[in-house]
Amino acid sequence: MSARRALFGVLLSTAVAGGVGAWAASVRGLQEQPFPHRDHQGLFPLCTGCHEGVPLGNEADYYPEPASCSGCHDGVREERVTWQGPGERVGNVVYEHRPHDVALTDAGDPPLECASCHIPAGGERMAVADSVQLGTCWGCHAHTASEHQVDADCASCHLPLARTAFDSVRIAALPLPSDHASAAFLPLDHGTLVRADATKCATCHTQERCVACHVDATIVEIVSFPAAPPSMDLPSATAHYNEPASHTEGDWLLGHGGQASRAECATCHTSNDCTSCHVQPQPDVLATLPDRNEVLAPGVHVAATTPASHESLFFIEAHPTLAAAGDASCSTCHAEAFCTSCHDAPQGGGYHPRDFLSRHTAAAFGRDAECSTCHSTQVFCRTCHTQVGLVGTGRLGPGYHDDGPVWLLRHGQAARQNLESCASCHRQVDCTQCHSVLGAFKVSPHTTGFDAARAWAQSPRTCLACHAGNPLTGN
Amino acid sequence: MSSVCSGREALLALALLVGSSAESAAQGYRGWASTSLQVVELRPLGADTVPRSDVLTDAQGRFLYQGLEVSCVLTTVCTGYLPLDDAHVFAATQDVGVTIWGLGVQGLSFTAHARARAHAGGNDLVWPRADDAFDAITAYAQLQRGAIRIRAGRMDIQSGLGFSAFDGASASYARGALRGGVYAGRSLARGLREPAKEAFQALDDFFLDHSVLLFGASVSGRLSGTSATGRYQRELLWDRSSLVSERGSLDVSTTRGRFRLRGALDYDFAREQVGKGELTWSMPLQESRWLVELSARRYVPYFDLSTLWGFFEPISYSEVTARLGWSRTLDLAAWISGGRRTYGDTETTVVLQPMRDVGWRSEAGARWRPAARWTLDGEYHLEWGPGGFLSSADAAARYTVTTRITASLSALTFQQIEEYRLGQGRAFGGSASVDVAWNETTSFGAGASLIRHRDGGNVFTSPWSQSRAWATLRFDIGRDPGLARPEAAR
Repeated sequence: MSARRALFGVLLSTAVAGGVGAWAASVRGLQEQPFPHRDHQGLFPLCTGCHEGVPLGNEADYYPEPASCSGCHDGVREERVTWQGPGERVGNVVYEHRPHDVALTDAGDPPLECASCHIPAGGERMAVADSVQLGTCWGCHAHTASEHQVDADCASCHLPLARTAFDSVRIAALPLPSDHASAAFLPLDHGTLVRADATKCATCHTQERCVACHVDATIVEIVSFPAAPPSMDLPSATAHYNEPASHTEGDWLLGHGGQASRAECATCHTSNDCTSCHVQPQPDVLATLPDRNEVLAPGVHVAATTPASHESLFFIEAHPTLAAAGDASCSTCHAEAFCTSCHDAPQGGGYHPRDFLSRHTAAAFGRDAECSTCHSTQVFCRTCHTQVGLVGTGRLGPGYHDDGPVWLLRHGQAARQNLESCASCHRQVDCTQCHSVLGAFKVSPHTTGFDAARAWAQSPRTCLACHAGNPLTGN
Repeated sequence: MSSVCSGREALLALALLVGSSAESAAQGYRGWASTSLQVVELRPLGADTVPRSDVLTDAQGRFLYQGLEVSCVLTTVCTGYLPLDDAHVFAATQDVGVTIWGLGVQGLSFTAHARARAHAGGNDLVWPRADDAFDAITAYAQLQRGAIRIRAGRMDIQSGLGFSAFDGASASYARGALRGGVYAGRSLARGLREPAKEAFQALDDFFLDHSVLLFGASVSGRLSGTSATGRYQRELLWDRSSLVSERGSLDVSTTRGRFRLRGALDYDFAREQVGKGELTWSMPLQESRWLVELSARRYVPYFDLSTLWGFFEPISYSEVTARLGWSRTLDLAAWISGGRRTYGDTETTVVLQPMRDVGWRSEAGARWRPAARWTLDGEYHLEWGPGGFLSSADAAARYTVTTRITASLSALTFQQIEEYRLGQGRAFGGSASVDVAWNETTSFGAGASLIRHRDGGNVFTSPWSQSRAWATLRFDIGRDPGLARPEAAR
């Protein structure tokens, strides 16, 4: 390499320092007000004429004093200009000219010329571009990345966003790496990438971007992520919550408790999401999740949803067995008061319709509604029946049951079919008048298969009521 | 009144527990109060006499008065059941419920639900349990520590064996999908919250002369769409001289893809016989637009060993039911069902006219929401079997006036035969009601219903005519901070 070329390279790289190099130390760049290099190409044969500090690493001399313009632009020879020198300019490229040159020299490589980075390929001398030519870095630093924005080691050339002076507009304009557009990127990949190399992500993101979505903002991956300085103007971030595929599986709701953990849930969910459905006892995982008021991310707001089983047209018929089989399932969402609000409602009209009383006969007689599930039919039913006159008198005449002849001779069959109905009006002594050892007819109430020995062993006092007691009083 | 004492004892015990807590200032409480007023007018039925001279004797020797059989033991008068004069009652029920927690012990809370009844004017006999002035429905202290919950006081358990209430203690353990529990205490009569000894004493000559001790255990589990609960429960007299009941139940529900299956079975260990059982298979079709359900069910009345009823050995019936439902959206749905039940052999001597041993049920209904504020329901029910018959139709319209006010109108007509008693005529009626949610904590409801019976002039027909009016007022106080929304809204 000729000495001239080397000098030129140094000078050019010095010029670049106006746009990039000086900023590298202070995270500031130049050319807020671009200098019209091409208009001066006949005047300045060398870059170092103005940027003499660049090859020396002398930051104070990176740029000429604005006052030096007035040497020509004095209003006589040339019109006055208002160039005030380089202004602040944001950038995030990591590049320091002097160390870079030293490294090249130490490696035995030729130094870079200014034009290599600051003038587009094929451009004239002094056709200085406003920004560094992207390809110039990896012209030498050839890496194995197949796609720069996806595979490259960002930190080699770029500062973390948190250390830049980018404003919200500049941040929003950062190019979107192609892998970010993948459907799997947000729900699956980005966490893996962060864990593998967070510095890559930090090139374009600050901690605030994580916290904008993540409810679990205290995980190490987020805490260790560079946070933006308080003065940094960040673009607004919209939280994205992709519903995991597992959540759409048919029985997921039933089994989600077994998978629930802070690691699995806390990315999107706060404890408030649990309590939107769960009542006491609340799941253990709830204690590990943050409260919605304590996090910045909106999180996924879960609303209590009706299980598919409840949507059935015949759920009312089904719910006793479902409740009995899955007590834990019911109590997930329903407090005990929910059951009693119908089954033991103070004003009635909950479980049974309001006009049920006038028509309960058939339902009770056919036991479509299993009265004895909730009522002690011998007491509850008979109390009311007694009060409205539907009560056995112990008489053997036809009396109330008048839909056929000779009721007395037929009542045994009816009684075995619907004994609960008998007990809802009759006292036991109405029966023992005849169906007891000391009764009028001594008619045995037992079938042929009755196990008297077992009955005696289990409840002798009941046996004695008929076999030794007064059939009219039972005592 | 013994039940009053019992309820007050339970509440007193709870108060003592609360008072003995280390810190009396609760961190939180939630309560509610509900006042319900009812005016009822109906015609009771009573045994009455008719002159023997007005009674005819048919070819079979039956005594008939206006075509209906009466009993003529004496030569001058015969007896039958006649409607008495109109009777009415004004009844009031006051419920108060409260739960308090945060008394200085983590997980400790107290819950009580008390009910008071009163009546003024009219015939108090037409209002059930009007003479029972006070009930402590529940009153227990609870300690919840992680997966373990312990309760002491008056509580109830709703299970495959029915509703069981007792004064005692329970402990349960819940971890993930597994839950188990044990409980024991003095048994209370089902649905009455009174010791069985006291509840039965007033109604029958055979009554329990001891309290009943109840204990039981249950275990529940859930695995990949299948839930199951097994329960064992035993009752015996307090002096352990007699067994009162010993039963177990198994309830299972499972979902496999579109198929849902639920089953229940209980077993009477005391009598060594299978009790009630049910197996239902359901399958939604066409993205749940259609729903098909098939059920097989066995029913047998259950009586514990403390009464004679079970020793009369009631038989079971078996029933098969098919249901078909259709819903285009939540705004339009219709369903139809039909079932047939057959009774087992009664092992009784059949004289003259055997009882029917087959019964049928059928039902059809529809729901339509023609507009956001309107809901219309209609249903028809037909049932006939041994000893009973019912044909009834309902129609109801509900209008949401505002988000806080709803008004309802309903109409009904029915015809029925009660237990082996001839019925004539048809009843017609309707009701109107309004429900107002005054604010988040106060709600009010009122309504009236009227049913008129056209008996065809037969004085022996059971009088179904009745008039009712009701009003309820409810206040909610406080809320559970752990709940995202008021429990009442669930």
